[in-house]
Amino acid sequence: MTFRDIVFKILSGSGATLLIFFSTLLFSLPLGLLIAFARMSKNKVIRSVITFIISILRGTPLMLQLIVWFFGPYYIFGFKLAAEWRVVSIIIGFSINYAAYFAEIYRSGIQSIPIGQYEAASVLGYTNSQTFTKIILPQMIKRVIPPVTNEIITLIKDTSLAFVVAYAEMFTVAKQVAAAKTTIVPLFVAGLFYYIFNYLVAFIMERIEKSFSYYR
Amino acid sequence: MSIFEIKNCKKKFHNVNVLDDISFKVDEGEVIAIIGSSGSGKTTLLRICTFLDFMDDGTMSYIDKNVVTSVNGHAKYIGQNSLSLDALKKNKSLTAVKSNFGLVFQNFNLFPHWTVLKNVMDAPISVQKRSEEEVKEKAMKYLDKMGLSSKANNYPCQLSGGQQQRVAIARALCMEPKIIYFDEPTSALDPELTQEILKVIKELANEKRTMVIVTHEMNFAKNVADRVIFMDNGVIVEEGNAYELISNPKMERTKRFLQKYE
Repeated sequence: MTFRDIVFKILSGSGATLLIFFSTLLFSLPLGLLIAFARMSKNKVIRSVITFIISILRGTPLMLQLIVWFFGPYYIFGFKLAAEWRVVSIIIGFSINYAAYFAEIYRSGIQSIPIGQYEAASVLGYTNSQTFTKIILPQMIKRVIPPVTNEIITLIKDTSLAFVVAYAEMFTVAKQVAAAKTTIVPLFVAGLFYYIFNYLVAFIMERIEKSFSYYR
Repeated sequence: MSIFEIKNCKKKFHNVNVLDDISFKVDEGEVIAIIGSSGSGKTTLLRICTFLDFMDDGTMSYIDKNVVTSVNGHAKYIGQNSLSLDALKKNKSLTAVKSNFGLVFQNFNLFPHWTVLKNVMDAPISVQKRSEEEVKEKAMKYLDKMGLSSKANNYPCQLSGGQQQRVAIARALCMEPKIIYFDEPTSALDPELTQEILKVIKELANEKRTMVIVTHEMNFAKNVADRVIFMDNGVIVEEGNAYELISNPKMERTKRFLQKYE
């Protein structure tokens, strides 16, 4: 197997990595906002339940959560698992886990907006939803970009955890090739891919951050 | 015509009387200064007038229309069907009343992500549903009056404190309120910028705008306000003609307070 073959073989797994990555972002970024709202709810029951769920999601290994999502339906309900369930369960597991982290980031962002912004909006007669969408949300987004970037970078590397349910993403493929050919090169190649991917993400996020720097 | 009237207003925080039986009236074109030491209840009073806080008992009216009535010793706001604070904050009937007044804060509270012009224009358009053309014309007129037409496209962070406060005043004016409240509008500013803001407020007074100003600037209150209300410990101790009251207070407590400013 030439170096070229190794690279192509690993690249074949990168599609799966990208699928997990983009699907997770697509679902978890908005879901996090919903969870953040529930977490800040004035209803004590909703607030406590969500706080508890967040603590479970953040307090147990993502790897464990992925296994539970994948095997849970079989062990708990005795369902026969469809072939597609593997990737679906991974995306569910990642999205919900990351949504919990994003929710806490959003919450801190929302709560860091000075009360005076709400008061000025109230006196001017803005409704609660106008106040949130026009005044609070845009300022919140600016504040959460740096911590969200951190999470996104972690997500890229975490996609490798999908190997626990034998999903053929990039890292799983690299490991298989490394084991079959007794060479460490595939792992370096995979590492390089993660690095380049992260470099791109950091670059894009920095651009986004800059686009918000017109005000303080 | 009475623009605003509050009667027997009571407010407690954690069982401490913050406001006790406050009554006063503002007529059209009148400028009223509220003075008193920190913790006397001045700011709480303004917050109640602007629905940022809600009174426990008393009555309130804007333009001779009742907004709060007293029912069995409890304040009842119009359109109120639940006692919860949350329900009061969402109360649509109160939102309609809000277009009667404007409030200028101590810390300006401009929206930092919007340009000066957008800060002034957005609420008239998206809350009062006025036409963009009309609002833009007014906004530019008020910014010009505040000497800030050249800053229309700047962001608040690019302005000095005095300029930010003038934008906040333009923002309040553009809503075309019947009465404007000022909550210590110069307390966050240095002496030079303070004069800049006082000059603007004085101009508004000359135009016979109805205003209620909470202030620590005694000279300003004396020379610009028609009437002064002196508050201490949640009650109105003395009220009267601004010039006379500040030069010649009758009550002992007022004298002691004013001595600190000599």
